[in-house]
Amino acid sequence: MKRFAIPLILSMALAMASLAQNATTDDEVAARNKALGLAGAFGNDGFKLRDGNWAGTIAPGKPHILQVNLYAGNQYWFTLGATPAGKKLAVSVYDETGKPIETESYQDASEAAAGFAPLASGPYYVKVEVVDGASTAFCLIYSYK
Amino acid sequence: MISILRRLAGGLALFFLCASASGETPPLTPADIADAAVTDEISIPMPGEFMAALTKLGKLDWTTKFRPPVSTNFSSRAQLALNLGGLIADGYVAIEAEDAPQVKNIGKDVLAIAKILGVSKDVLDRANSIANFADTAHWDQLKEELEATQNEVKAAMIEHKDQDLVTLVTVGGWLRAMEVISGQVATHYSPPGAKLLRQPGIVVFLDKRLDGLGEKMREEPSVRAVRKKMADIDKIIAFPLTSAPSAEDVKTLNALTAEVVKEISKKPTK
Repeated sequence: MKRFAIPLILSMALAMASLAQNATTDDEVAARNKALGLAGAFGNDGFKLRDGNWAGTIAPGKPHILQVNLYAGNQYWFTLGATPAGKKLAVSVYDETGKPIETESYQDASEAAAGFAPLASGPYYVKVEVVDGASTAFCLIYSYK
Repeated sequence: MISILRRLAGGLALFFLCASASGETPPLTPADIADAAVTDEISIPMPGEFMAALTKLGKLDWTTKFRPPVSTNFSSRAQLALNLGGLIADGYVAIEAEDAPQVKNIGKDVLAIAKILGVSKDVLDRANSIANFADTAHWDQLKEELEATQNEVKAAMIEHKDQDLVTLVTVGGWLRAMEVISGQVATHYSPPGAKLLRQPGIVVFLDKRLDGLGEKMREEPSVRAVRKKMADIDKIIAFPLTSAPSAEDVKTLNALTAEVVKEISKKPTK
């Protein structure tokens, strides 16, 4: 067990350090740490964290949308972290025509996630929004297996 | 760190997951789609994701995807950056093949190019981790290290105001990954495998970035070779959602990408 735990912890620590190093404000650091903390649990289920993130500020009623390119056969989790100002967040996924896709979802104070397995390879859209609360720094990351 | 360990210990069992009701969610509008952000850092798939999908179609011998070592000593920074991207894609192949010496050799080459480009300080620790993980056969951690290496190289380039080089690392890696994957699909053709090659929009995104390069860099022979082939590549990978490219199309794609990767790694004649 120790044999597997040490590299896993080391790897996560390096990933956190790598993602945190580009943060410019305390709020961005907090949002990234929140997202990474949640995504860590998916690692326990064999998901690999993609090293990279999408960050910024979201205001209530003004969602942000990101295009990603995904592969059929893989499973994905999109994980969103924010500051406590974002009391309730949502992550939703759409296909390339803009049609919403049914996902597994997780939601807790200032963090949310959506998971699914695409049936077709190609572009998808991920929407992040503040459902309840004030404007907040956010960070979106994703994991796959 | 403690909170992460707690999460790991609890795992997914602690999650209150539910299926989102897609029927209640309004679709995106064409304006939403047109305004969606596309970023180099997260919108362009990493070779590891591509390879993860491919391995689900059946076991394959990744050692057959190795290529002879490429030079790490080009005078053109553009060509160095394109080859750096290609080498990182080679690193994924070596990890999938679980070939420690190959991983370490590629790690050394990545470091050599990073040094010439002036970003080796930023990736030295990563290179050491890669060697250690290869020695101890921690293949999953190696994939994460390789992704982190690529991102740190790009971050250092951005810091040095070399955004053009970031574009070229991305393009070089994407092309080499396309060559490897299309080669595999061409050799063992199946419609599900061929459908994995579908990537509409990526060439458009990369082309825009290539068009935005500084004039001198755009005119580099290796960059010109890439730009010349992108439209032909796009014709094959931007197929409709419901169809799959034919075996012949996949062979053509493989030939196109192989040709451009070869061109990128060719030492210029004086």
